[in-house]
Amino acid sequence: MSNMAAIEVLNLYKSFGENQAVQGVSFDVSQGEIFSLLGPNGAGKTTTISMLSCLLRPNEGDARVMGHSIRTDAMGVKSVLGVVPQEIALYEDLTARENLSFWGKMYGLRGLELKKRVGEVLEVIGLLDRANERVGKYSGGMKRRVNIGVSLLHKPKVIYMDEPTVGIDPQSRRSILDSVVALKDQGMTVLYTTHYMEEAQELSNHIAIMDHGKMIACGTHDELVKLVGGQTRIDLTLHMDDGKTIDAWRDIEGVTHVAAENGTIAVLVNDSNIVLPKLFEAATNHSARITSVAIREPNLEAVFLHLTGRALRD
Amino acid sequence: MKAIDIAIKDLTRSFRSAFAIIFMFGVPLLVTGMFYFMFGNTAENGGFDLPKTKVIIANMDEGGPRFQVNPKNIPGGREADTMGDLIVSILESDEMADLIEVSFARDPETARASVDIQQAQVALIIPPDFSEQFADMEEGKAVIEFYQDPTLTIGPAVMRSILNRFMNGMSGVKIAVNVFIDEADTSDYAMTGLVVQQYLDDSLALSEDMEGELLDIRVPVSEQKNEAEQSENLLLTIIGPIMGGMMVFYAYYTGASTAQSILTEEEEHTLPRLFTTPTSQATILTGKLLSVFLTVGMQVIVLLIASRLIFGIQWGNFTSVILAAAGIILSASSFGVFINSFFASTKQSGVLFGGILTVTGMMGMIKIFAMNSAIANKMGDTVSMLVPQGWAIRGLMQSMNGEPFNSVLITALATLAWSAAFFVIGVLRFNRRYV
Repeated sequence: MSNMAAIEVLNLYKSFGENQAVQGVSFDVSQGEIFSLLGPNGAGKTTTISMLSCLLRPNEGDARVMGHSIRTDAMGVKSVLGVVPQEIALYEDLTARENLSFWGKMYGLRGLELKKRVGEVLEVIGLLDRANERVGKYSGGMKRRVNIGVSLLHKPKVIYMDEPTVGIDPQSRRSILDSVVALKDQGMTVLYTTHYMEEAQELSNHIAIMDHGKMIACGTHDELVKLVGGQTRIDLTLHMDDGKTIDAWRDIEGVTHVAAENGTIAVLVNDSNIVLPKLFEAATNHSARITSVAIREPNLEAVFLHLTGRALRD
Repeated sequence: MKAIDIAIKDLTRSFRSAFAIIFMFGVPLLVTGMFYFMFGNTAENGGFDLPKTKVIIANMDEGGPRFQVNPKNIPGGREADTMGDLIVSILESDEMADLIEVSFARDPETARASVDIQQAQVALIIPPDFSEQFADMEEGKAVIEFYQDPTLTIGPAVMRSILNRFMNGMSGVKIAVNVFIDEADTSDYAMTGLVVQQYLDDSLALSEDMEGELLDIRVPVSEQKNEAEQSENLLLTIIGPIMGGMMVFYAYYTGASTAQSILTEEEEHTLPRLFTTPTSQATILTGKLLSVFLTVGMQVIVLLIASRLIFGIQWGNFTSVILAAAGIILSASSFGVFINSFFASTKQSGVLFGGILTVTGMMGMIKIFAMNSAIANKMGDTVSMLVPQGWAIRGLMQSMNGEPFNSVLITALATLAWSAAFFVIGVLRFNRRYV
């Protein structure tokens, strides 16, 4: 039993009209690991998680969560699962304690057990002293913590966390990332979706990179980085560029990918020592000025750039 | 059990909102209270204006034995040559001027036609042999044709009361004359006219305070002992229907806005989260619907009791009130579920709710506010039956009016049919949306 995958995803497809949201996604998540789905917005991460939560029915394929099929045993899946949705899904006019108590009942907890678990979760999320305040009065970070707390009430074996750090302050983000690691340490399996490369890199045992509904790579961080080979990523900023410099960079030998991203140009190169002077030369030739340069070790951003030709945050 | 948990959670949320409390309980009582004070003042001063009843008379009476009535007993009246003239004189008298508006037709057909086209509310047709028949002490049968708009109640009732009183008096005259002829010597027969005149004068003199006695407006309390109570009862006949209408109107709003919580939860993302818990969709929907029924139920019960305590409105006997209240609760709740099932978001519903509920609510209440207008009353009777609010109000009014249990039951069953249709359609649509 311990060798059984916590989550087995087998060739999932989901479309909404003409839009193919998920196309043949397959992966396994071992028990007790953190598995991240990494990809830009619209990559199909939330649709995949929605199918794995039995919120959406796949057009094709199946998945098993702790042995329960999402197609034939939705209640079985839901009973072993805790879901932290991307949005805050709480009743703002109820207190944190009332919220937890209600959601606990929905997970089948009653009486003393419910009361005990609500108290424990309030302690875990650090809101015991403010438990009787209405959630509507909480800060964004506090709401996020309650949002996570709800999914922990019934001590699930598997937790899905769908971009839980979107739109919150760095302190709350740090707290959430720490809590994810703590959940793993308690033996829970975490399926984590994010479009922040750093989060996936920090937390995950395994990472699946998704783009346009497809899974384009899957493995450990090191395995994925190896896909880039010995390539280096150079991030540059340009002044007075009319677009011709970037085109010229693409033609330089040793440059494999160039992508513009929020004013920064990410360039993937085989050997930075040889290519970097050529980048300056091309900029000068086109009357542009390089105002900053950063040479980075290969990371998931570089992997994504290597695989898709686009920066992760495009 | 989970369905009840969901319902209790929704109730907690609903009743935690001050706005909802004011809207559900405060506003209906406040509106009724405004009417109460508005009409209360006039009722206490005895100044309540009953609209005049339009009466058209076709007096075809050709006369018979001549009677002269003392005009001093008919203020503003005139001498009467026939029994028909006498009736006309009474109806045209100053005392009647506040109650009825008299016009004349040249023949019975014209008089009836005036009622048919609603130019008049009552037609009185006095036949050519009316005086003749009245004068026939042995076998005479004097009959006046009373032709009325069947949709009206108060105006024709006033007229009937006036005529009954008059005809009773005339019957008394006949009896008095018969007794006089039986008892008197033939030499005294010449005094017959004097006896008749004396009886007639006495009879009419008793009618000086006719207006107060003519209004037989039924009130919830069984006895009217004094003037203050009479005034209070008259007030309740106005306030009761208004409170009933307000209750139904706002119960439908509550039903719709509580059912809207299904859409709200979808937008707050709590509904999808509920679907990720090991709780079946049927249980979740049952819980949501239960909360709608319980919220509307609580509102109706509180309003029934509060209006009884505050305004003294008597809603009828217990079983009838229960039936009528159940009709309101079921129809308001299911209507809320029904209309929400057609909306994709609260933005959409917010725009359309007000319009739909106001229009259907006003259609349902049209009879309450048009009870003194013949045309509107007749139209309102039909129009109100086109919307569920009309049936809900009808049941409550029947209960208030003390109508037989079977009548209330039939209306409740009709309301139940509306509710069942709304409920089934609403639930099917919501089921289809979330499966």
